[in-house]
Amino acid sequence: MFGPPPTDTLVVGCGNLLRGDDAAGPILVRRLAETGVPSGVRLLDGGTAGMDVAFAMRGARRVVVVDASRLGVEPGTVHRVPGSELEDLEPPPSNLHAFRWDQALGFARWLLGEDYPSDVVVWLVEGGSFEPGAPLTPAVDEAVDRIVRGVLDDVADLSTASSGAAASGGEGVR
Amino acid sequence: MTTMDLNVSPLGQVEGDLDVRVTITDGVVTDAWTEAAMFRGFEIILRGKDPQAGLIMTPRICGICGGSHLYKACYALDTAWRTTVPPNATRVRNIAQITETLQSVPRYFYAIMGPDLTAAQYANAPSYEEAARRFAPYVGTSYQKGVTLSQLPVEVYAIFGGQWPHSSFMIPGGVMCAPTLSDITRSHAILDHWAREWLEADWLGCSVDRYLEIKTWEDFNVWMDENESQHNSDLAFFVRWSKEIGLDTYGQGYGNFLATGTFLDPELYTHPTVEGRNAALQSRSGIYANGQYYDFDHLRVSEDITHSFFRGEGSRHPWEGVTDPIDPAEGAKLGKYTWAKAPRYDVPGLGHVPLEVGPLARQVMANRPDAAAHQDYDPFVADMIANAGVNVMTRVLARMHEEAKYFKNAKKWLSEIDLHDDFYTKPTEHAEGKGFGATEAARGALADWIVVENGKIANYQVITPTAWNIGPRDGSENHGPMEKAFIGAPVENPAFPVELAQVAHSYDSCLVCTVHAYDGKTGKELAQFRMGGG
Repeated sequence: MFGPPPTDTLVVGCGNLLRGDDAAGPILVRRLAETGVPSGVRLLDGGTAGMDVAFAMRGARRVVVVDASRLGVEPGTVHRVPGSELEDLEPPPSNLHAFRWDQALGFARWLLGEDYPSDVVVWLVEGGSFEPGAPLTPAVDEAVDRIVRGVLDDVADLSTASSGAAASGGEGVR
Repeated sequence: MTTMDLNVSPLGQVEGDLDVRVTITDGVVTDAWTEAAMFRGFEIILRGKDPQAGLIMTPRICGICGGSHLYKACYALDTAWRTTVPPNATRVRNIAQITETLQSVPRYFYAIMGPDLTAAQYANAPSYEEAARRFAPYVGTSYQKGVTLSQLPVEVYAIFGGQWPHSSFMIPGGVMCAPTLSDITRSHAILDHWAREWLEADWLGCSVDRYLEIKTWEDFNVWMDENESQHNSDLAFFVRWSKEIGLDTYGQGYGNFLATGTFLDPELYTHPTVEGRNAALQSRSGIYANGQYYDFDHLRVSEDITHSFFRGEGSRHPWEGVTDPIDPAEGAKLGKYTWAKAPRYDVPGLGHVPLEVGPLARQVMANRPDAAAHQDYDPFVADMIANAGVNVMTRVLARMHEEAKYFKNAKKWLSEIDLHDDFYTKPTEHAEGKGFGATEAARGALADWIVVENGKIANYQVITPTAWNIGPRDGSENHGPMEKAFIGAPVENPAFPVELAQVAHSYDSCLVCTVHAYDGKTGKELAQFRMGGG
């Protein structure tokens, strides 16, 4: 059947590049692409197309979602949460434009059934400003680098497995 | 007489939110105000940037139709820079635009309309069980297949564009890709699979070619009962169910339409100009107002800000457009009530009027006589309107009707790609110029106006289909198109006004809302009701 190529780990950065700290996810994906990731890692700029994140998860064993949060804590605060804590299937999405990744995870479990990734992790970074056109605030900029290191640690098992092969990541980001 | 206000208020989301306030008298909507609750600052972000910034930024305006934003942003720059676009590049752009719409529409029907069609209010209608069996979210038999397979068309987009959404592979002078024969073969296979498994198997119950023989509303009704398979298709069932629950009786609006048209003919638009655009379109542009057709002229488009949270009043052409926001509290004192501007079109003899955009508008233009050989001529939807009116049902049917046509178009352009020919001609980056680029996103007319001065963007304005449809009153106090369409809608149960969701969803607009029902006499809030757009 058709679908994305199988991969060990899919890293998805969600958010809107045009809205200040909401760009944290897509910017993280760019930084990972520049740094290089082990083979077996697919990078995806999920942008604001929530439902499509679920479709992109097909064929991945492990999924890492990164998004900005608005929890009311100190800007730049990073949370790492198991996906199972955050899935949301109810109520059904009433607007495709407003489809968030928590709904996407719930939707993906429905969509993929037995093929749902066995390991889902969500990184949230608290945004300070969501002003249209603004760059990342310094606290979030620094936090994105911390998450880059965290994600690379998470996939370090792959670097060893691929015997130090040169980073060939970045597919999916063009 | 019982009068109450229904207020629709926002939930924080990315693309923006819509407040709809509705006055109800004796169970019927008698007035409406659409209030966009968020400021869209994209035009301000783009000013002073590199001319190509629109190619990167405007596709981020929307997570659903980023490819449509890219398509028109690219033509805006093609016309400003006076580029040469090889036929292959136009084919690939068309394929990308059309596959995005092919994906969006079934997803819209099942994921957005599905919950409305199975709302509890309809539990006593004779076919409710059947509606729920097919369309109930997640568990409905048709819902599952329609949503699951909806991803296939944009896999074709990704073959050419690298990824979907948020690709920037269309560039002035062409496209950034070099497809191989296996890319083309795979694209055909994906589309064929999707058409066989969903479009023909579930939606139509017959071949695409048989369906497209339908030219009139009478043909359609004959088709519905021609055999078991067609009678039991999702399309035929949707029509029967719509009639049972009254979707054919409200949501009229003005019945006046605008299309900017889309799909440039590959051979006729190798040198994109604003003046040459109408004649080169496959899906035609045009205006239909008070029973008459007019040619589309972008110079007659303006945005009125009398009731919008921007400084001043009156209207301007987008090349002269100003985005100067003011404090909503200050604006409210001046009778302003929304962050949306009111796009209007100066129809000869009628003045600046509000016009509905979307599939209904496109298909009304398809009925205009004197189509050139490369242009779409299709009288079906216009005949349906003449016989069944403009309403929620026919607005949805127009959208769904395009799936079959678009599938044929996609296949045609795929088969015309010449792998040995160019996909790009390097353009001259002129430091000065004005451009206009437009398309038809799934939801309707979408256009960019760009002014380039000293090699930078001096002005950039985007008018989205949602702005055309959900914009507010103008300086002459004419309602916006969707405001108008709410008027006359019956609301059986103000605590759960599903009828308002049906009207809003028939436009598939890009905004999220929650309805708050208020009693007009006491001001007491009666209920909250969340509804979505597309």
